[in-house]
Order: sequence, then C-alpha cells, then structure tokens
Amino acid sequence: MPLRETEALVLRTYRLGEADKIASLFTRQLGRLRAVAAGAQRPKSRYGGMLEPLSYIRLWIFERENRDLLRINSAELLESFFDMQKDYRLQVAAQFVAEVADRFLPEREVNDRAFRLVLAVLRTMKQSGETNRPLVYFDYWLLRLGGFLPDFGHCTSCGRGLADAPVYYAAGFEGLLCEDCRPPQAMLFTARERLARVVERCQATLSHWTGEEESAGDLREVRHFFEELIEAHLERKLVTRPLLDEV
Amino acid sequence: MKDYAEPLARLIDELKRLPGIGQKSAQRIAFHLERASPEEAERLARAILDAKEKIKLCSLCNNLTEQDPCEYCTDARRDQEVVCVVETPYNLISVEKTREFHGLYHVLHGALSPLQGIGPEQLKLKNLIERLKGGKIRELIVATNPNVEGEATAIYLSKLIKPLGIKVTRIAMGIPVGSELEFADEVTMLKAIEGRREI
Repeated sequence: MPLRETEALVLRTYRLGEADKIASLFTRQLGRLRAVAAGAQRPKSRYGGMLEPLSYIRLWIFERENRDLLRINSAELLESFFDMQKDYRLQVAAQFVAEVADRFLPEREVNDRAFRLVLAVLRTMKQSGETNRPLVYFDYWLLRLGGFLPDFGHCTSCGRGLADAPVYYAAGFEGLLCEDCRPPQAMLFTARERLARVVERCQATLSHWTGEEESAGDLREVRHFFEELIEAHLERKLVTRPLLDEV
Repeated sequence: MKDYAEPLARLIDELKRLPGIGQKSAQRIAFHLERASPEEAERLARAILDAKEKIKLCSLCNNLTEQDPCEYCTDARRDQEVVCVVETPYNLISVEKTREFHGLYHVLHGALSPLQGIGPEQLKLKNLIERLKGGKIRELIVATNPNVEGEATAIYLSKLIKPLGIKVTRIAMGIPVGSELEFADEVTMLKAIEGRREI
C-alpha cells in the first residue's frame, strides 16, 4: 500500500497492548481517522512527544487491506502544544476542543476549514492564555461548518418568530424555544443581545476579535448555550464539559 | 449450537474483560486452564480472591498494601522528610527499583486528564495535603509521567503546595539512556536542555 503524507492534529491516544498506541487524528488531507503507532509506548519510541494530545504533526501513513485502522510509518513535529497544557485551565480547554472535534467530525471526511479552525483556536489559547473567547469562536464555527447552527430568530420547535418575546433553551434542543414550546426544565435565555454581538464578532478572524467589549461572564453564558447545542447534536454528554465549568 | 460449553464460554468472556486480552488470548488461557490440574486452577482462583480480599489502600500514602499503614510508611529507616508523588502503585515500584530513593511515597491514583473526566477531585490529594500540613516534610518530588497529563498534574501540585513552604521538585525529562540525539523530537530535546545540570 502506498504511503500517504498528511498534516494532522493528535486528538487523543489509547494504549494498545504493551508497546503500541492507537492515535485518533484529525488530518488535513484525509479527515478524521484512527491509526496505530507501533512501539509508541516504549521509552525509546521514535515518536517521543509527537503523539501527545493536540500535537500538530506531519505524518506518513499507510492502509492495509481488510484492516480498519491505518498504520503510522513515520512522523515529524510541526508545532507542540505540550507546554501550553501545563496550565490545568488551558489543558481542560484544549482537551475540550479535542473531544468535540473527535466526536463531532465525521470519519474520513476532509474538512480543511475545520482543521484551520482547530489550529487557530489552539494557537490563540497558546499565545493569549485565554479560554473563553477562543472556545466561543470554536463552538460557533464548528456548529456553522457542520450545518447545525440554528436560526436564532425563530423557535426551533414551532418555527415562530421570536422577536422580543422571552426565549428559552434546554438540554437536548437544537436551538432557542418560545414560551409555548419550552419544556418544564428549560432555562430563560437572557443573553440574546450578547449572542448577537458574539455572532457578529465571529464573522472576523479570531485574531481580529480582541474580546475587550465582552466580559468573561457574557462570553461564558453564550459558550454554555453553544455547548448545549453541540451536546444536543452529539446526543451525549461531553466528558470535559463539567471540568471546563469548574476552572 | 454454541461454540463452547457454557462454563468455558463464561470463562472466556470474563478473561476478555482483562486489559490487553482479546478473544484469541482469552481462548488460549481458558483452554490452558481446562487442561491444567484442578490444584493449579484452584491456586489461580485463590490468588485472585486473596488479592481482592486482602489488598487495601494505605491510609497514609494510598499504596496497595496488606497492612495499614504500608511497609514504606512504617519503615523508620526511610527519610521521613522527602515524599515522592507517583501516579500509580506500579510507578512506585519503578522508582523503588533504582535503590537510590529512600524517602516516602504518595500515590495519586491517576493524573489530571480532562479527556478521561479526571480532575483534581478524582485524585487522592486530600491526605497528601494533610500529610504536608503535619510539618515534617521538607521536599516533595513529583514523579508523574512525562506527558501532558503528568506535567499538568505536576504544575497543579506545585501551585497547591508551594504556599505551604515545602520545596517541590520534578523528576528530569529528556533523552532516554541508550538512545541517540538524532532521533529525539523537538519536545524531548527541549525538555532535555531545560533540565540540564552542571557536571
């Protein structure tokens, strides 16, 4: 089988037997896939720190007939996010990005825009040490690129225009809800104006959004709402989300 | 018709739950046990039950032990002022094998790993802080794994413990003995340079 070269972000790794690892990778040219890194658990492994979560690497990979998993032939490190993740707050935020990408992106579907998004978000976190703004930007664009961003002007259940009426959101629903459609556990969504501002900011690149206009509290509320939407689409709870709320 | 008789199928199913054991290995072990003498099979079963019944966590260091406190914590010859923090009980064995460390241990039973849902609450930190507040300990060596999770845990511990006036050190990271610089990646090389020492 021919070797294929691609850039990739390591989303996570699992142990395989005593010496190997399975890496979940988001590759630029082949989409999200899983591959075996032979000998990666050994102390003298040629991979060293390359397979640590969120490493940006170039790898040479090949596929074998009748095997689900690809095999990594060799790799080189392009950019490391190892030191950034020494800070527990940034580690949680970065691994939230990894978990969402791992669960949200379809397997073997090339998505260059999502790849650039993840990389830009990680670089912003590394440079600024900030988490709220990059995560809001990540959530918004991932939902939009996936085609799951709802129309915030209409009730997601009945389609009625929401105008200035009170709006609600609840776990498991894929957008905002009107008074009539809200389930008993729904929460009043008070951040509509902030949401509109954030959506406007997200139209520019992340480096152009200075974040001075929004307080951390404002951003957190909008982020929570986006996270609810992501969980509603995944139909499962994210493991990293409760930890993100604690830091 | 079933592939195997019910007791054998049940044994294979149970063996498959063990880490690193797949269908083929489970079958091989099950057939080996089937061929073994009853005494041999009973010895294995007794060993598993004994380990489950008699082994508990040391109330001081969280190491796996038969007696509480464990033999490391009760050994008066060990340096009571230095504590080495490790992630798992088998990491403790790796440090102990060097025969160069004579202090005490503390086992965290994990490292900060958001992807596995492990935060500070899930680690055995409470009794570590209580031990440190006792005032006898002057140095804490953090020997967590040299990966993202281990590093984050080390930094978290250092922020938590330094205000108590205790020296916090980290084991060195870098090039493994016997390997060659040519094959070292940038992260490993950087760690090796950062951790250099005067000779």
